[in-house]
Amino acid sequence: MGAQAADDHHHELPFDQWPEDKWTGTASLGKIGMWIFLLSDALTFAGFLLAYGILRGGAEQWIMPGEPVEFGINFTAGLTFLLICSSVTMVMGYAAIVEGNRKSAVKWLLVTTMGGALFLCGQMQEYFGAFEFLFHHKGLIADGLIFGNSARASTFYLVTAFHGMHVLTGTLYIFVMAIRTYLGKYDGGNYNHIEMCGLFWHFVDLVWILVFTFIYLVPA
Amino acid sequence: MASETHPHITDTSNVHINRKEYWTIFFVLFLLTVLEVGIVFIPGLGNGPMLAALGGLAVVKACMVGWFFMHLSHDTATIRNSVIIAMAIPFFYAVVLIADAVWKLAWTQL
Repeated sequence: MGAQAADDHHHELPFDQWPEDKWTGTASLGKIGMWIFLLSDALTFAGFLLAYGILRGGAEQWIMPGEPVEFGINFTAGLTFLLICSSVTMVMGYAAIVEGNRKSAVKWLLVTTMGGALFLCGQMQEYFGAFEFLFHHKGLIADGLIFGNSARASTFYLVTAFHGMHVLTGTLYIFVMAIRTYLGKYDGGNYNHIEMCGLFWHFVDLVWILVFTFIYLVPA
Repeated sequence: MASETHPHITDTSNVHINRKEYWTIFFVLFLLTVLEVGIVFIPGLGNGPMLAALGGLAVVKACMVGWFFMHLSHDTATIRNSVIIAMAIPFFYAVVLIADAVWKLAWTQL
């Protein structure tokens, strides 16, 4: 292929996509970049969870006097179910935009945004009792789980709040994607950005599955 | 064409959409979560077996999200292996740490 022909072929592709090759297939530059970011992020989470495990395993006394014995498994199981639901709505939004159904994609993306927002509300309730009138619980801080007072409290807030920041980021990200989809930015098979957004959101769900198990479910 | 025989499957040049599979994975994830919560409330189950069961279920759930929802199953072997190998490193580190803790505990009890 001559230099001019190669240049012409290159211009047929969207700005953020590579030509197909045997190593990365049809994955775009953005998708590869998102995977690299997610792997680095996963190793950060792994570091936090390992630190949590090491501190917990080596502690002579893990639960300090005045702290709640458990974090409220049933409530958090509900939050886990919410994230699993939002993962499936995200993938349905992706499926819709791949098939060129803009209206359906916007609907699924907005439902996913709502799932993320509800999860954040749940976390506000868990920490601060922001919705005490609904759940009749003043939150973990009022129960005596204070950041800095014990290794248990500090690692709990570090891991769950770091994840919560990811949920906040993901929720805003998906909302922006929903608006851009509504404006027709991803019509005509240009679904690469939705795929990247989906990867981020599923990663948030994946991490929560591990956080829920190792921080909430493993008995004291 | 696949979509003529399986209406829930759409084949495009680059991606594979399978709604039935997505909903199946969703229900399996839901059931595994219920199972996880149920395990915690089993009376008399020791910490060791409980930790093994909960950890195993969590890893299976995380792998299902990665494989089906993040479409690793449809990515190239290069991308797939890059992700799996990177994720295996902290997993094996955790296994080594747990083994070390168990060894130290056994040693002090001798």
